[in-house]
Amino acid sequence: MTTVATDTPMTDPRKAGRYVYAAGVFLLCAWVIVPLYFLLINTLSSPEAVNAFPKSFVPEFDLGSLTFFAGFAGMLTALKNSILVAVLTMILSIAVGAPAGYALSRFDFRGKEVFRMLILLTRAFPLPLLALPLAVMFIRTGLDDTIFGLALVHTTLAMPFAVLITFSLFSGIPLELEEAAWTLGCTRLTAFTKVVLPLILPGITASAIFAFVISWNEVFAAAVLTIENRTLTAFLLTNLDTSPLHLKFAGGFILVVPALIFIFAVRKYLFAMWGIANR
Amino acid sequence: MSFNLKLAGAVAGVAILVSSVAAQAEVLFWSTQAKPVEEAQAMREQVLAGAGDVDYQPNDGGPWLTRLNAELQAGSGAIGVLGALHGDFSAMNPDDLVDLEGMMSGSDTFNSLAKLGTDNMQYVPWMQASYIMAANKEALQYLPDGADIDALTYDQLIEWAGNVMEATGEAKFGFPAGPKGLKHRFFQGYLYPSYTDGVVRTFASDDAVVAWEKMRELWAVTNPASTNFSFLQEQLLSGDAWIVFDHTSRVAQAFNERPDDFVAFPAPAGPKGRGFMPVLAGVAIPRTAPDMDAAKALVAHMLKPETQIATLRATNFFPVVDVDLPGDLPPAVQAAGDAVAKMSGAADANPGLLPAGLGDKGGEFSQLYTETFERIVLAGQDIRTVLDDHKPRLQAIMDASGAPCWAPDAASDGPCPVE
Repeated sequence: MTTVATDTPMTDPRKAGRYVYAAGVFLLCAWVIVPLYFLLINTLSSPEAVNAFPKSFVPEFDLGSLTFFAGFAGMLTALKNSILVAVLTMILSIAVGAPAGYALSRFDFRGKEVFRMLILLTRAFPLPLLALPLAVMFIRTGLDDTIFGLALVHTTLAMPFAVLITFSLFSGIPLELEEAAWTLGCTRLTAFTKVVLPLILPGITASAIFAFVISWNEVFAAAVLTIENRTLTAFLLTNLDTSPLHLKFAGGFILVVPALIFIFAVRKYLFAMWGIANR
Repeated sequence: MSFNLKLAGAVAGVAILVSSVAAQAEVLFWSTQAKPVEEAQAMREQVLAGAGDVDYQPNDGGPWLTRLNAELQAGSGAIGVLGALHGDFSAMNPDDLVDLEGMMSGSDTFNSLAKLGTDNMQYVPWMQASYIMAANKEALQYLPDGADIDALTYDQLIEWAGNVMEATGEAKFGFPAGPKGLKHRFFQGYLYPSYTDGVVRTFASDDAVVAWEKMRELWAVTNPASTNFSFLQEQLLSGDAWIVFDHTSRVAQAFNERPDDFVAFPAPAGPKGRGFMPVLAGVAIPRTAPDMDAAKALVAHMLKPETQIATLRATNFFPVVDVDLPGDLPPAVQAAGDAVAKMSGAADANPGLLPAGLGDKGGEFSQLYTETFERIVLAGQDIRTVLDDHKPRLQAIMDASGAPCWAPDAASDGPCPVE
């Protein structure tokens, strides 16, 4: 993170500004960390402690709630399915979205603006509305209850982000760079992979994260379109809202942790995009 | 190139996934009941243990219905057995459910409900529950003088909650008015029958005005956060509510965790008796079930006395066939069972039935009662105006569905009239 190394005496307004800045940083961190911390504490608490008030700030390391889920039939399969679907969604949405973003930024064609609007339309219809005809079609084509079928649906949801993020990324890279590569013996493809791709990798990561999170969080399509191959969200989330409080916390914890681990794993690519280059 | 490699990998992965769709030999039990994770676990491990290969999948109502409709439209599917409430089944087309001959519950009332207006059983009653009152024992000291907790009236309940509020400074009556709360059942099965001896006919009667005035008085001593309460066991355990009304299985956790701290008792009585209402869940087979014999075997299994007792332990829903209840039942089951028995055995008992014959208008019907509550109690609008406003809408629902009156309303020829 940014730490100010210089220790020059400062005038009052700058000092005040720094306090505001620090307070802002603190608030934003607390905004994210405090709920997660409470989730952790309550996950590691006994049912009595979860229902008690005021809350303790130190977890008592009661593993009862987590042990319950460890014995919950199908948890691991559901976790595996969730990861598979999310990764597949990530790959598909980048594989299809990035070329579309490239085309939008590099070429002029008729209906370009309309196309950009149409891309957004995939998010304009609520899934509960689309799920019925989709499920009928999937059952008829055999895509029903497959990880690939669900990944296709999630890819559609993630597509606008993939296309629009990569579009702005490609637009940020001067065409001259590519042209220079062409004059130095690159083909269109090698110019792309050797020059443009390294530059936009952080942005690709960002849209990959979007795709991952969208797929990870999606419940309705997953609950309707998968039976044997349920994702973790479909498997747990639909049942959690009616479960006792301590199991809600534990279940929420289980749902959050894999997504957190993933985001931590890719964060260096993300930070690189924002110009913080210390990888 | 790494990008090309990724692409190739993706394509290969997709190919593997598509080819790995395995044949399924299990019976898929697609249910809206026993949804909380602990109940689902108990269903799988105890109730369905002896039923062969069963995949028990509880779901929210939305995905449950969407998936079912998709399979019916596609003409083939994976669902073997459906588990849902009477209201879910009555909203379906009876042709989509397989006729179930030779299987029935011990109650004629339930069996005739399960025919859904046809001549054959469309679903088989599976389990039943009801709504009761529960209280923290600390609240008992504030009971009004001369009040018997097993024979409370609405006036005494309001006074009691008022005493608690005066003593503790907090409104401690808890009411399931949250988004997933079952408040509409309170109006349909408890408040209206107790004050008007009807639900539909008497919707806008003068008695109904009195009922809503009482509801306002009750709301004045109700924890205002109740609009966020859906499972009162949470508020009982946390102490946010001391006296509550809810579904038996939605207060069960409180009794099971701290059996010595809470009491269960019958719903209060009004001028027209002690109105109460059952909850009925059933199992059915959709016409698209992949293995009809296995599905029928599973339905038969659900009705066995030992399965019914296991279901009672797992879900706090009571048997629908004649069984001898063992003595070692969980505290919640004993407490709820006692309260329901006192309620139905009370001299002033005024039992109602589930709304029947409404078909797909069932949701709209309940919504109307919820809206009436929101306008009169939450928004403080004039009771007479709101009731007169909603009267034609209720009549339209009854006319569109053609539903005849059900108890405690007097029977009708044709659609139940709103008087």
